[in-house]
Amino acid sequence: MDTKSINLLTRVGAAAVVLSLAACASPEKTPATAAVAVSHNAVENAVSAGAPELAPTEINAARDKMMRANQALAAKDYKAARELAVQAQVDAKLAQSKANSAKATAAANALNEDLRVLRQEVDRANSDQQQ
Amino acid sequence: MKLNFLKAIALAGTVGLTACSTVPTTTPTLDEARADFVAANNNPQIATYAPMEFKQAGESLDRANQAAANKESLDTIDRLAYVAKQRIATAQEVAKAKTAESQVAKAGRERDRVQLEARTAEADRAKRDAATAQAQAAQAQAQAQDAQAQAAAAQQQAAQQTERASRLEALLVELHAQKTERGMVVTIGDVLFATDRAELNANGMATVRKLADIMTQNPGRTVMVEGFTDSTGGAAHNKDLSERRAASVAQALTSQGVPRERIAMRGYGEAFPVASNDSASNRQLNRRVEIVLSNEGATIPPRAAQR
Repeated sequence: MDTKSINLLTRVGAAAVVLSLAACASPEKTPATAAVAVSHNAVENAVSAGAPELAPTEINAARDKMMRANQALAAKDYKAARELAVQAQVDAKLAQSKANSAKATAAANALNEDLRVLRQEVDRANSDQQQ
Repeated sequence: MKLNFLKAIALAGTVGLTACSTVPTTTPTLDEARADFVAANNNPQIATYAPMEFKQAGESLDRANQAAANKESLDTIDRLAYVAKQRIATAQEVAKAKTAESQVAKAGRERDRVQLEARTAEADRAKRDAATAQAQAAQAQAQAQDAQAQAAAAQQQAAQQTERASRLEALLVELHAQKTERGMVVTIGDVLFATDRAELNANGMATVRKLADIMTQNPGRTVMVEGFTDSTGGAAHNKDLSERRAASVAQALTSQGVPRERIAMRGYGEAFPVASNDSASNRQLNRRVEIVLSNEGATIPPRAAQR
């Protein structure tokens, strides 16, 4: 192969990379600011639901992705920002629902325990009476 | 040159294809999401408590599957699969929370029910205790009343006995009764009978009435009526007269309400004189009827052998 053809090959290869980029990642230029805002909201809701204590893994993942989404937004990488925001949102939603279910389960367990103790007391009172 | 260019185009296309689809129609994350989806689909609580969340998760999984079918980049598939996976997990957590909440509501109702039951049982118990205490009090009161009544009855009986004893004593004094081994002996002298006859006169009847009173007040006592005469006249006549006089007194007692079975009688004629028959006054003493009043509940022993 001569120099000229190598040169051509290089040029064609570059074109192919550009083409492939264009094919795989339809460039999404829509500002992702809205998505990031929604995710921010979701994270805040999760935090106020007690996620930092009750679902730390999920809320940390959400916060990390939020941070990265904000960075992408600043870098005007809207596609990455939007994708990260969507992921942060589902992480935050999972964190919130995990926190809620942990609280509800704890409440149910406590109440069931109360009920068990109460039943025991009633049974004891009744059996004392029969003696 | 032209051939070279065509070859280059073909190469570029190949590079482009390889970039887009390193072929696998799935990724580990997508596999996980699919498995999670199946598990969630088999959880009845998801259908009951998180249908909307599950629907969204299903749509996310559809998009990831679609990307895989379209042989889009692993990144894209993974990203979509991740979203699907988190949404499935969210649906699970929502279902779990709602299930727990319904348990809370149920347990709350159950607790109210048990508490009510406990209070009802306690009230019943208190009522039963009160009733028992009341019954015991009533019983104690009844016993006290019984004891009081018994005491009163005993007192009354004692008073009656005392009264009866004193009345008996008074009457016996009045009748000049004499205490003997056989019992109290009341003598109805000749003067209380019509001369040589068996009928009692008014004074005799008065004496008999008093005796009948004693008999009525002392139902445990019996009498033996014994007739005697003096030695004047034939023995047969005297025996007959003594028997008739005894019978007359017994008859008088019966007519005053003394039951016949409590009266025994006997005529002894001129036997058992209380004085010698040598004077009119002594003979009059011998003409008599003796009434032996038994002791309470005792029988009257027979008269000792003839003197």
